[in-house]
Amino acid sequence: MSKKVEKNPLEWTVFAVSLAVVLATLGYLVYDAATVRDAKPDLRVELGRPEPRSGGFAVPVTVHNRGDETAEGVHVEVTLETPGAEPERAEYNVVFIPRQSKREGWVTFRSDPSRGRLTGRAMGYEKP
Amino acid sequence: MAKAREGDERSYARSLREYARGVVGGLLFSLPLLYTMEVWWAGFIARPFNLLLYLSVGFLLLFGYNRYAGLHKDASWLEVGFEAVEEMGLGILVAAGILWLLGQIDGTMPVNEIMGKTVVEAVTVAIGVSVGSAQLATGGEGKDEGGMEGDDSPTQGVISQVVLGACGAVLFASNVAPTEEIVLIAIESSPWKILGLALLSLAMAAVILFYSDFTGSDRLRRGDGDGPGTMVLRTAVNYAVALAASAFILWFFGRFDGMSFSVCMAQTVALGVAASLGASAGRLLLQA
Repeated sequence: MSKKVEKNPLEWTVFAVSLAVVLATLGYLVYDAATVRDAKPDLRVELGRPEPRSGGFAVPVTVHNRGDETAEGVHVEVTLETPGAEPERAEYNVVFIPRQSKREGWVTFRSDPSRGRLTGRAMGYEKP
Repeated sequence: MAKAREGDERSYARSLREYARGVVGGLLFSLPLLYTMEVWWAGFIARPFNLLLYLSVGFLLLFGYNRYAGLHKDASWLEVGFEAVEEMGLGILVAAGILWLLGQIDGTMPVNEIMGKTVVEAVTVAIGVSVGSAQLATGGEGKDEGGMEGDDSPTQGVISQVVLGACGAVLFASNVAPTEEIVLIAIESSPWKILGLALLSLAMAAVILFYSDFTGSDRLRRGDGDGPGTMVLRTAVNYAVALAASAFILWFFGRFDGMSFSVCMAQTVALGVAASLGASAGRLLLQA
């Protein structure tokens, strides 16, 4: 039943490329499956430098997920506490943050954040 | 000498045409999947081990398809394996290319997200590639009896029915499986309607396989002088394959997580309508 495989150079090229792609994919998946841990989503909110925008100030927000599971529907809240004023809150939602990934966004404030203290955190998220 | 070269060029042109057919076929069958966001999400939600399993099952299906209905009549096991690798490779490349054009993968993403999205799409593309290169040809080229030699013994008939049915079921069902609608149907329909869906699947499978003069169904009827017993058996096997395929796909897309058994069953049956159509009609078409 075993016969000599007949291919022209074009077919050999396509086969070689395919084999490389398939082996690389399999290799990566095996490596990934072997090294992945069972860590739940682990979110860290990183705040950037406030920028003046029309009608207020925008603060870039990066949310990192250092866990090994995806977080869905992440609710991010950033609070601005300025001495002698009411704390101002801003929030937004991120649909998904895959494992070992980050997503970027902005929150806006009416008063200048550089005169107060900014804190950000992920309030809640669900398992997809 | 001149003659040999002419032959070479002809076969270059022929293999190029085969690849072109394969890529077009791959897109034809998998475009709905490439354009569905739930499938992109599945790419990064799925655990690496599940992706590995999904890819392996995809390989098995390719292998089986090439074995029983593939392009070359006189294929050896080695060639069947070579073709499966080629089709999976093309599937991965095409899936990655289209995902990049759609803006769903790019260089800034972590590798696991890119790989996940690509693998989830690539399995369907690859099955599309193998079906495309074998079936989209005009007469003569590729259309002759597929598979390996000596496929007519009764035991192989059942195996080939299962393998080709599974290919058809995956090809059809994976397009609807990841959508929210399947869960909605399962939750909102009454058990009687779910039963109705199951009966509908069985009836359609029987009609397609035996009554409707569907392409290729005459070959089945001619089969083994079949009485009503064989028909019932074939329809049942067909539906069993469809249900198994639909359960596997649902499990892979995480649709069983935290669901009660009855909701899982209802989902399997709801998706089973598509899978059963694929297993019966798909099988006849894939084999034509």
